[in-house]
Amino acid sequence: MFPNLKRDVGFPVIGSFVLFLALFGGGLIYQTILSNGSAERLVTTMLIDAIIVIGIQIYIGNTGILSFGHIGFGAIAGYVFAVYAISPEEKLKRIPTAPFGLTDTQVSPGLAILIAVVVTLVFAVIVGIGLARSGAQSGSVAATVITLALLFVTHEVAKSWPELTGGNRGGISFAIGESLEGRALILVVLFASMLIARLYGQSRSGRLAIAAREDSLAARAMGVNPLVQQMAALLLSVVIVSVGSSLRVWQIGSILPDRFFFDYAMLTLVMLIVGGRNSVTGAVLGVAVMTGARELARRLGQDGFEVFGLGLDEAPLDWVFRENLNSVVLGLAMVGFMIWRPTGILEDWEFDQWLYRRFGRGTQTEPGRLAELDDVPAATFEASGVSVAFGGFKALTNAGMTAESGEVVGIIGPNGAGKTTFVNVITGMVEPTDGAFSIDGVDLTGSASHELSRSGLVRTFQNLRLFGALTVRENVEIAALVAKEHRTERTLRDVDSLLAEAGLWEHRDRRARELDYGNSRRLELARAAAMAPSFMLLDEPTSGMSDSESLTMIEQVRHMAATVGAGVIVIDHDLGFITGISDRIYVLDQGQVIAEGTPDEVQANARVQAAYLGSAADR
Amino acid sequence: MLEVTGLTTKYGAISALRDASLTVGAGEVVGLIGPNGAGKTTLLGSIAGLLPIDSGTIRFDGNDITSGAPEKILRAGLSLVPEHRRIFADMTVEENLKIGGVTRSGAERAELLDEMAELFPVLRDKWDTPAGYMSGGEAQQLAIARALMSKPKLIMMDEPSLGLAPILVDLVFELIDTLRAQGRTILVVEQNATRMLRAADRAYVLRSGEVVATGTGAELLDRSDLFDTFVGG
Amino acid sequence: MTELLQNLIDGLGRGSIYALLALGVAVVFGIMHLLNFAHGELITIPGYLTYWAFNQGWNWWTVVPLIIVSAVLSSLLIERVAFSRVRGASDFTLLLTSFGVHFIVAAGFLLYVSASVKPYPRPGWFADTIAVGSLNIEIFDLAVIVVTIIVLAGTTWLLQRTMFGLALRAAASDFDTARLMGVKSDSVIRGAFALSGFLAGIAGVFWIMREGQVTPTAGINPMLQGVLAALIGGLGSLRGAVLGGLVLGLAEVLLRSWLPVGIQNLTTGFVFVMIALLFIFRPGGLLSVPQVERV
Repeated sequence: MFPNLKRDVGFPVIGSFVLFLALFGGGLIYQTILSNGSAERLVTTMLIDAIIVIGIQIYIGNTGILSFGHIGFGAIAGYVFAVYAISPEEKLKRIPTAPFGLTDTQVSPGLAILIAVVVTLVFAVIVGIGLARSGAQSGSVAATVITLALLFVTHEVAKSWPELTGGNRGGISFAIGESLEGRALILVVLFASMLIARLYGQSRSGRLAIAAREDSLAARAMGVNPLVQQMAALLLSVVIVSVGSSLRVWQIGSILPDRFFFDYAMLTLVMLIVGGRNSVTGAVLGVAVMTGARELARRLGQDGFEVFGLGLDEAPLDWVFRENLNSVVLGLAMVGFMIWRPTGILEDWEFDQWLYRRFGRGTQTEPGRLAELDDVPAATFEASGVSVAFGGFKALTNAGMTAESGEVVGIIGPNGAGKTTFVNVITGMVEPTDGAFSIDGVDLTGSASHELSRSGLVRTFQNLRLFGALTVRENVEIAALVAKEHRTERTLRDVDSLLAEAGLWEHRDRRARELDYGNSRRLELARAAAMAPSFMLLDEPTSGMSDSESLTMIEQVRHMAATVGAGVIVIDHDLGFITGISDRIYVLDQGQVIAEGTPDEVQANARVQAAYLGSAADR
Repeated sequence: MLEVTGLTTKYGAISALRDASLTVGAGEVVGLIGPNGAGKTTLLGSIAGLLPIDSGTIRFDGNDITSGAPEKILRAGLSLVPEHRRIFADMTVEENLKIGGVTRSGAERAELLDEMAELFPVLRDKWDTPAGYMSGGEAQQLAIARALMSKPKLIMMDEPSLGLAPILVDLVFELIDTLRAQGRTILVVEQNATRMLRAADRAYVLRSGEVVATGTGAELLDRSDLFDTFVGG
Repeated sequence: MTELLQNLIDGLGRGSIYALLALGVAVVFGIMHLLNFAHGELITIPGYLTYWAFNQGWNWWTVVPLIIVSAVLSSLLIERVAFSRVRGASDFTLLLTSFGVHFIVAAGFLLYVSASVKPYPRPGWFADTIAVGSLNIEIFDLAVIVVTIIVLAGTTWLLQRTMFGLALRAAASDFDTARLMGVKSDSVIRGAFALSGFLAGIAGVFWIMREGQVTPTAGINPMLQGVLAALIGGLGSLRGAVLGGLVLGLAEVLLRSWLPVGIQNLTTGFVFVMIALLFIFRPGGLLSVPQVERV
C-alpha cells in the first residue's frame, strides 16, 4: 500500500503533527491575545473549516475534478446528524411529524456522526457512479456541473421538506443534550483528517489518482483505471467532510439549508485554492490565511478604517469598509488567484516531503547497471486481418504482424500509410472494423487501455505524455506500483536501478516537465520498462531527435528491453533508425502491409523504395 | 518577399527549430522538405503566428511580422493552409470559403467565390454540403481555395498531399503548377520529397530543426547524399 | 386532456426562458470552453437596475430596453475585466473564475445595496389570461413563447447568414484555424459575450417580470437552469441548448402536476434525479457532441 514506509508513513505522521500544532497553536495565540468569546469562536470555526477543506482536498487535489458537491454531502451529513442527535422533546417542537419515526429516536452524538457518515456514503456511491459515467477526468466540466447540481438538490430538498428538516425559516436548533464545548473531539478529528489526507496522498491509490490527474491517457496506458481511483478518493473525502459537517452543526447548535450552500461552498473552495489545492499543507495554509483575511475584512467593515485601535477616525474609505466586506474579499481572492496564481501559494509543496528530502533520506548512491535477463520468458504478439474504415475511407486493410519476446520489430511507412491507425488499434483507442490481436493467444481486441497494459502490452506516446508535475522518480514509481499488482509473474526491476539505467539518476527529483527532450524520451522508456511488459510499443521514439541522439536511442531501447525481457514493437518514419534497431521490419503503405523481412531485405525491396520516395526507382 | 532569419522555437524543453533561415521571392514556388519531426510544420506555424518564437525575426514585404497574431499576419498578406486541412466540418463549402474571405469586402468576396468555383469545379458541385462530408482530396482543395479567398500575396501549404491517394497527390501538384502559372508565390511543406523537388523553383531541406541544405529543385535532386535524409539514416 | 395541454403551454413558457439562458451559456462555452457560472449575473444586475428605475418613476416600456442593454453591457464588462485574463487557461481555472465573478457581483450588491428583498411592480397584464376553448392561457406565457420564437429565428439568421455568425461558428469549431483565416479573436469573443448577454437580457425581461423582486443571489437560479439546460442538450451544441431548455421547463411543469400533493414542493429534487438518470444513460446529453481523444 505504501511504497516506502519512512517516506510515505513516518514523515507524513511527523509532518501532519507539526502542521496540526502550527494551526492550533496559531489559533491559541490569537485567542489568548484577544481573550474574548468571539475570538474563541473564530478559532473553533477555523478548526472545523480545516477538517472540511482537508476532506475536499482529498478529492479535488488528487483527482483534479472541481467539486461543489462536497458541501452538498456536508448538508446530507449535517441533517442526518441533527435529526438523530437532537433530543425527542426538541424534535417535538420543530419536526413533530418527521418521517420514519425519527421524532422519537435519539442516539448519542457519536453514534449520530457514524450514521451520518454511512448515509452520506450511500449518496456518494450513487453520485460517484454518475461522475464515472459522465467520463469525469481532471478539469472535466460535466463532472463539475453534476456536483453543482448535487449542491442544489440537497439545498432544495432541505428547504422543501420541512417535516424532516425544519425547512428554511425554523431549521432545527438544538439542545443535543451536551453541547460541543470542549474542543478535544474537534482536535482529534482534525489531526486524524490531516494524517489520513497525507497518507492517502502517499498511498498507492492516491498516487495512481494523481497520475490520472496529471494525464489520464498516460495513466491508463500504465495500467491505471482512473475511475476506480476517483471513486476511492471520493468516498474517503466524503467520510471526512461528513464528520466535519456533523461537528459544524454540533458546534453552531442549529442547521439551516443556507448553512451548507453557495456561500459555504465558496468559502471552502477559496480556502483550498488560495493555499494550493494539490497539497494538504496548502489547504491548511489556505484555511489560516482566509480565516485571517475574512476576520480582518469583517473588522474593517464593522469599525471603519480601524483595526486593533489603529486607524483614522474620519474614515475616508468608509465606502469600502462596510459590513459584508468579507464576502467581497472571498470573491476577489478567488478571481485574483485564478488570474495570477491558479495553483495557489504552495502549489503541490508538502511540508512532510520537504522534511523527508532534507532530513530523512540520507545520501543515496547510484545503483549499478542492470544485467540483461538471461532467461527471457517466451511471449508472442499477434495481430491479423486488422482493418479500419472511417466512413468510406479505408485507413487499414487486412494488416497483420507477429512479434516474439526478445525481438525488436519495426513498423515503417510514409505519412498517411496507416501507422497511427495501427497503433491506435493495438492500444485500444480505435476499435477495428475487422481483425484481432492477442498476446500468447489471449484475445485483447476491444480491451480498455489499462487492461492492455496490465496484459503486458505497454506503449509510449509520439507526443510524450509524462506526469508533468510529478518528479522523474515518481513517474517510474507509478508504473512500478501497477506492475507489482498486475505483472507478478515477471521480473520486476527496482525503480532506482531503472532510473540509473536510463541515465536519469541525477535528475530523479526534478519535475518531469522540466526535462529536456532526450531525457523525456528516456523517462518514458524507463516508465514503460517498470511495467515489466511482455511487449513495449514505442510510437515514434525519435521524432524531433537529432541523428546522434537517435543512434544512442537504438542502444538504450535494446538494452532496456533486454533488462526486463520485453519484446519491442517500434513504429517510426525514420528508415535509418528502424533498420538500425529492428530484427524484422513490416512496411505499411496505403493501409496495407507491402513488405516484411530483415532490414536488408526490406531496403532492397523496390516497392518499398517506391512507396517511400514517391518514385525513387526512376530517380 | 518573405525573409526568415535565425528562427528558434521551443516546445517546453524541446527545441523544434534551431536557427532556421529562409527566403521566398515574389512569384517563386519554394519547397520545404525533410523527415517527420524535422520542424517543417513548426516553421510554418511560427511564421503564421500560431506558435511562440524564442528568437529570430520574420520580415514580410519589408515589415517585421515576428510574433504577430495570426489574424494580423493574414492581413499582411500571408495565408497558411494548415496541416490536416482543418476545414470547418459542420459548415458548408460556401461558408468555409466565406470565412476564408472574412477580411474582404462583401463585393470582393462574391467575386472571389465565383473565381474559386471556376478554379475548383469539385467545390461547385458540393457548394451547399457540409464540408465534413467531403473526401480527402476535395477537402484539400477546399482548404487551398479557402486560403486563396483572402487574396494572399504568399500562400503557405502544410503537407497538402498528406493522406491522399496517388491520383489525388498528382492533382495537388497540378494545382500547385496552376497557381504558379497565375504568378502566385507559394511555400510548400512536403514529405513527398521527389515530387516536391520537381515542382519547386527552390527548396530547403530541414532536419532536426535545422536547415541542412538549400538549392534549386534540380540541384537538390542530384545530391545523392540527401537520399538518406529523406529516407532517414 | 385540457390539463395536459395547459401544462404543455406552461412548460413551454418556462422552457423558453431556460432555452434563451442555455443558448447564451452554450455560445460562450463554444467559443472559449468556459461554462459561465456568472451567467445569472446578467439577470441580477438588470434586476437591480429595474428596482432603481421604478423608484425613479420609469415604467415597463422604458425598463425593458434598460434590461436588455444593461445585460449586454454587463456581459461585455465581465469579459473584459475577468474572462479576458484567463483565456486559454485550464477548464478548472475558467470554472472557478466564473464562480468567483458570480460571488463578487452578489457580494457587491449585498455590500452596497442590502441583503433584503427589493420589490418592484409586475406589469398590469401579468396575471391576465385569455380563453381559447377550454384553455386559459396566460398572456405572460404567450408573450414568452412568441418572443422566444422571434429571438431564436433572429439568432439563427445571425449565425447562418451574417459574416459575424460564420466567424463565430468557425471560431467555435476551431479557434486557431479561424484566426488563420483572419477572424479577430478579440472581436469574435466579445461578439459571443454580447450575443450571450443579449439572449440573457431577453430571458431577463421575463424572469425579472415574473419574480417581481430582486436579491443579491437572484442570479443563482437562472444560472443553474441555463447551465443545466445546456448540459442536458449536450455541451457545445447550440440546438441542444435550446432543446435542453424546453425539456427542462416541460419536465418541471409536468412533474409538478403529476406528483402527489404531499411532495409537490420536491419537484426540483425530482427534476435533478431525472437529469442524473439522463446522464447515466446518455453521458453526453441529448444532442451530444462527439469528443475526440487526441493522442
